[in-house]
Amino acid sequence: MTPALSIQNYGLDYVTSAGPVEVLRNISLEIAPGEVLGLVGESGSGKSSLAWALMRHLPRNAREISGSLKLSDIDLRQLAPKQLTGVRGRRIGMVFQDPSTALNPTLTIGRQITEALQRHRGLRPREADALAIELLGHVELRNPAAIMRRYPHEISGGEKQRVVIATAFGCRPEVILFDEPTTALDVITGARILDLFARLRTETRVAALYISHDLAMMTRVADRVAVIKHGRVVEQAGAAEIFRAPRAAETRALVAAVPRPERRLIHDTPDETVVLAAKAIGVRYGNRGLFRAAPPPATNAIAFSIRAGEILGLVGESGSGKSSMARALTGLARFSGEISFAGRTLRGAQDMNAAYRRDVQIVFQHPDASLNPRHRVGEILSRPLKLYGGNPADIARMLDQVRLPASYAQRFPHQLSGGEKQRVAIARAFATRPKLVICDEITAPLDVSVQAQIIELLLALRAETGAAYLFITHDLNLIRQIAHRIAVMRRGELVDCLPVEDFDADHVHPYTSELMAASPVPVG
Amino acid sequence: MTFAWLVRRLLLMLYTIVIVGVLVFAITQALPADAAQTLLGENASPEALAAVRERLGLNDPVWLQFVHWATRAAAGDFGVSMRTGLPVAPEMLTALSRSLLLAVCALIVTVAVAVPLGIFAALRQGRLADTVTSVVAYLGVSLPEFVTATVLTLLLTDKLPFLPATGYVSPLEDVGSAIRHLVLPVLTVSVILIAHVMRMMRSETLDVLQSDYIRAARLKGLPERTVLARHALRNALLPVVTIIALDVGYLLGGIIVIEEIFAIPGIGRALMIAITTRDLPSIQAGAVIMAVTYALTNTAADVVYALLDRRIRYD
Amino acid sequence: MTELLTRLVRKPQGAIGLALLIVLAAACVCGPWFAPYAPEKMDFLGRFRAPGWQHWLGADQFGRDVMSRLLVGTRATIPMALAATLIGSGTGAMIGTASAYLGGRLDEIIMRTIDAVMAIPGLLMALLLVSTLGNGAGNAVLAIAVAFTPSMVRITRAVALSVRHQDYVKVALARGEGAAWIVFREMLPNVMAPIVIEATIRVSFAIMLFATLSFLGLGAQPPASEWGLMVAEARQYMHQAPWVLIAPSAAIALAAIAFNLVGDGLRDALNPKDER
Repeated sequence: MTPALSIQNYGLDYVTSAGPVEVLRNISLEIAPGEVLGLVGESGSGKSSLAWALMRHLPRNAREISGSLKLSDIDLRQLAPKQLTGVRGRRIGMVFQDPSTALNPTLTIGRQITEALQRHRGLRPREADALAIELLGHVELRNPAAIMRRYPHEISGGEKQRVVIATAFGCRPEVILFDEPTTALDVITGARILDLFARLRTETRVAALYISHDLAMMTRVADRVAVIKHGRVVEQAGAAEIFRAPRAAETRALVAAVPRPERRLIHDTPDETVVLAAKAIGVRYGNRGLFRAAPPPATNAIAFSIRAGEILGLVGESGSGKSSMARALTGLARFSGEISFAGRTLRGAQDMNAAYRRDVQIVFQHPDASLNPRHRVGEILSRPLKLYGGNPADIARMLDQVRLPASYAQRFPHQLSGGEKQRVAIARAFATRPKLVICDEITAPLDVSVQAQIIELLLALRAETGAAYLFITHDLNLIRQIAHRIAVMRRGELVDCLPVEDFDADHVHPYTSELMAASPVPVG
Repeated sequence: MTFAWLVRRLLLMLYTIVIVGVLVFAITQALPADAAQTLLGENASPEALAAVRERLGLNDPVWLQFVHWATRAAAGDFGVSMRTGLPVAPEMLTALSRSLLLAVCALIVTVAVAVPLGIFAALRQGRLADTVTSVVAYLGVSLPEFVTATVLTLLLTDKLPFLPATGYVSPLEDVGSAIRHLVLPVLTVSVILIAHVMRMMRSETLDVLQSDYIRAARLKGLPERTVLARHALRNALLPVVTIIALDVGYLLGGIIVIEEIFAIPGIGRALMIAITTRDLPSIQAGAVIMAVTYALTNTAADVVYALLDRRIRYD
Repeated sequence: MTELLTRLVRKPQGAIGLALLIVLAAACVCGPWFAPYAPEKMDFLGRFRAPGWQHWLGADQFGRDVMSRLLVGTRATIPMALAATLIGSGTGAMIGTASAYLGGRLDEIIMRTIDAVMAIPGLLMALLLVSTLGNGAGNAVLAIAVAFTPSMVRITRAVALSVRHQDYVKVALARGEGAAWIVFREMLPNVMAPIVIEATIRVSFAIMLFATLSFLGLGAQPPASEWGLMVAEARQYMHQAPWVLIAPSAAIALAAIAFNLVGDGLRDALNPKDER
C-alpha cells in the first residue's frame, strides 16, 4: 500500500552570510494512511522546517540538497506553482502553532472557512455555509452560526484553534501537518484540543504528522514517534516503546529529562520557621480613568506562607495572577494587604528596606530580557555584590557555582545560549545569599533537557545555601517533582494549597483535578 | 467605537487647539521683549511705537493680553491687518480655501498614484521594479520642496510653454486657465507626497505580505490572486487613511514654500507676506488656522480609521 | 566601533552614504583651501560663463565661481544643521526619557502636549521663531532646534518606554536601585542606539529646512554662500544659466541623501538580523 506521506533521504540547507547551515540531513520517514507519526525535537532540531518543506513554503535562502518528498503518488518537489494550489489544503493540510496570527483579522470566521470549502470541495456559497456550521459544531464550538459572523479577535485562542482545525479537516485531505498546535495555548485548553484531535482522527482516518517538543504528550497522541536532533532522525519506534525502552543515546537523554511526578528529587522536609508570610495580597493594575471603569483585580486577597528552605510551588494558567504575586512580593506592583518578613510588616514597596531586598530575590522568565544587553556578565554580577557588601572577587566563584567558566565574565549576554543566560540570572540572584528566591516561570522557554539541568542547579544551590523557593510554573508534573507544598491559583484566587503528597487525593478542588488531568503523565 | 472614546478624542482636539493658541501667542507676542519694536523695525519713532502698543494692547500684562486675544480668536476675530487695515480672519479663510483647492488636487493625484505604486513595489520586492521605484522615492524625500519646484519649473516650462510658471486664476472665473495655472504647483506637491506615501505603502504592504495569516491563506491552497485581493489588499489599504492624515502635515509644511514660488495667493503665501511685513495679527491668524486645520484632519482620520478597523477596541 | 563600521559598509547604502559623508566632511574642513577662487570674487567679464576649464561648475550672475561658493557653502549649511539637530535631539531625548521614566499621568500630560505642539508644522514653527528672533543663521539654528524637539521627544519616549518595561530594569528596581542608576546605567545605553539613528536622519531634514529658510530670505543672508540662498538667487536666471541653479540643488540633495543613507545603514548595522 502506498504510504500517505513518504520522505526519502531528504536534505536541506539554509544559506546565510556565514555560509550554508545544515538544517536537515538524511531524513527518511513514512506515514501510512490513517497513521499518526509524532516528530519530536527540541528547538533548532529542524522539525518545523520539515513541515514547511512539505508544504513547499521554504524561505528564499533554502537549498534542498537531496531526497524526495512524496504525497501518495505525487512528487511534491516536482510540482509547479500552479499545481501547488491544487495540492495545498485539498490533499495536504496544515494546522499552525499560533492560532491568533493564522486568521485574517479583517475577515469573518465564516468567510475564512467557506473560502477553503468552496475551493476544495466545489461547493456553492450556501452549501459551503451550511457545511461550515456543521464543521464548527463538530469541533465542539457552541453556537456555530453566531461564530461564523464573528471576527477573530472576538473569540478565544482555543476557539480560534478549533476553527483552524475545522477548516483543515473540512477539506478532507489525505495528510494534515500539525505544527505544535497546543504550544501557544493554556494547559487545559491545550489538553482539550488534544482530545479533539484524537476523536477527529479516529473518525476521519486522516494521516497526520504531529510536530512537538513534548515527548510525554506525544506518546498519548501518536502511533509512532520519530526523534529528531540537529536535523537528523535519531530513532523511530512505536509511541509506548520509545518512552519505555529508548535505544538511541539522545532519546534516552530526552526521556530522562521529562518531568515525572512520581520521581521525587527532594527528599527532606523543611523546618517550621516561617520566612515570609503574605496576607490578603490584592494586586490591581490600572485605575479608573475618565470614562473608564477600573479593570478587575489581578489577585484577590491571596495568603500563603513560605518556610525556611522550603520549595513552594505556585501553579496556574495565564491570567491566574501568579506573576502578579511575584511582582507584589518584590515591590514591582502596588498591592494591598501585608507581607511579614524577618519580624517586620510591609504594606508596600516603600517599606521594603535594603535587608528585605537582599534577602528576597527574583529570577524572570525570559533570560534575553532580564540581562542588560549592554552590560558584560561580570558587570551584571558585580552590581548586587557592590550594593549589598560582597567581594567583587567573588564573581569567579559565582560563575563556578552555576557551572559556567570564569571567562564568561568578559562576555556579553548575546554571546551566551538561553540556558547559560538563565544561569547568569540565577547567579545574580544568589549573589547576596538570599533567604527566598522567586522563580517566575524560569524554565518555560527552555528545552526540556536544559530545563532538567537548571532544576538540578537550583536544587544544588538550595542544598548549599538553604534558600527557600517560590517556584511559579504552569507545569504541574515538574513542580510535583520538587515542591514541598503546591498552591494553585485561578483567576486571581488561591484555589488550593496542599502538601505535595496530598495531591492525588480526592478532596482537591475541581479546578486542581482538571489541571492534573490536563497534564499528561507519560506512558511507560 | 464608543461614545466615550469619541468624547475623549474631541476633548483631545480641543486641548490641541488651546495649546496651539498659547504657543502661537507666546512666540509672536509674549516672547519679543518689545513686540512693537519688532513690528516696526529699528528706525521707528517713539510716537509710532506708542501708537502701535496702544492699538495692539501691548501695555497690558501678558496674561491679560492672552485672555483678550484668545476670547476674540475663539469667536473668529483675529483683529485687523496692520498692512491693509482689513479684518484678518476673512482674508485668511479665503486664502485657506485656495490652498485647500491645491491640497485636495494634490492629495487625489498622490493617492491615485502612490498607493498602487507602493503596493506594486512591495509585490515585486527585491526585483528591479522595486529597486527603481524605491530609489526614485528616496530622491523625492531627500529634496526640499523649493528644489523640486524649481527643477520641475526649469524642466517643464521650456518644453510645455502653455504652462505658466507662476500665478493663480480662480476656477470660478476661467476653468481652463485655472487648471493650467494649477498644473505645476499640484505636480510639485504631488511629486513630494508621492515619494513619502509610496514608501509608507510599500512598507505597510510588505508587513502584511509577510504576516502569518497571509501564509496561512496561501497554505490553505487559495490561488495567489485570491490571497492578494481578498486577504492582503484589504489589510494593506487600512492605513491609507492614517497616511493621508500624515500627508496633510507634510502638505501644510511645504505649502508655504510652494505658494511662495508659484505665487499662489493661498494661506502659505499670506503667512509669508505677513511675516515679511511683520503684520502681527495676520501672522497669528494664519498660524492658528493652519494648525487647527491639521488638528481637525487628524481627528477626522482617527474617527474614519476607527470605523473601518474592527480590531481596535476602545473602552 | 570598527565592527560597527564594517557592518555599515557591508550594505551598498551604508557604503555610499559613508563615502558621501566623508566627502562632505572634507569639503567642510578644507573646502575653502581647495576653492580655486574666493567665493565673493566678482568677475563681470565672466558673468554666466558655462561650466568649463576656467570654472568647473560655471559662474553666476556676478561672475562668482559656483564651485568655490559651493565648497565654502558647506561650512554655512552642514555645521548649522548638525548643531540644530544636536540641540533638538538632546533636549528631546532628555524630555522623552524623563517622561517615559515618570510614567502615569505626568507622562500622559507631557505626551498630549507634545502632540498638540506638533500640530504646528515644523517649517511654520521655524518661521514663527525666526520672525520673532530676527533673521540670520544663528537664529535659524535655534528655530530649527525648537521645531525638531517635539518629534524627538516622541521617538525617545517610545524607545525609553520599551526599555523601561524590560525585565532587566525590573530586576534593578527589585534590587532597590535608585532612579539615577536606572536611568543612566540601565536605560540610557539601550536607548542611545535608536536615538543616534533617528538623529542622523534628522540631520538631513535640518539641512533641507535650513536651506528652505535661507531660500525664503529668513536664514543666512547675502552675500553668504549658503546653498538655499544660492538657489533663491539663481531662480531669476534659471533659463540663461541653469548650472547656477542645478549645482547648489544637487549639493543640498547629496548632503541630505548622505545623512539619510548613513542613518538607514546604521539602522541595519545595529540590528543583527536573524537570517533563518
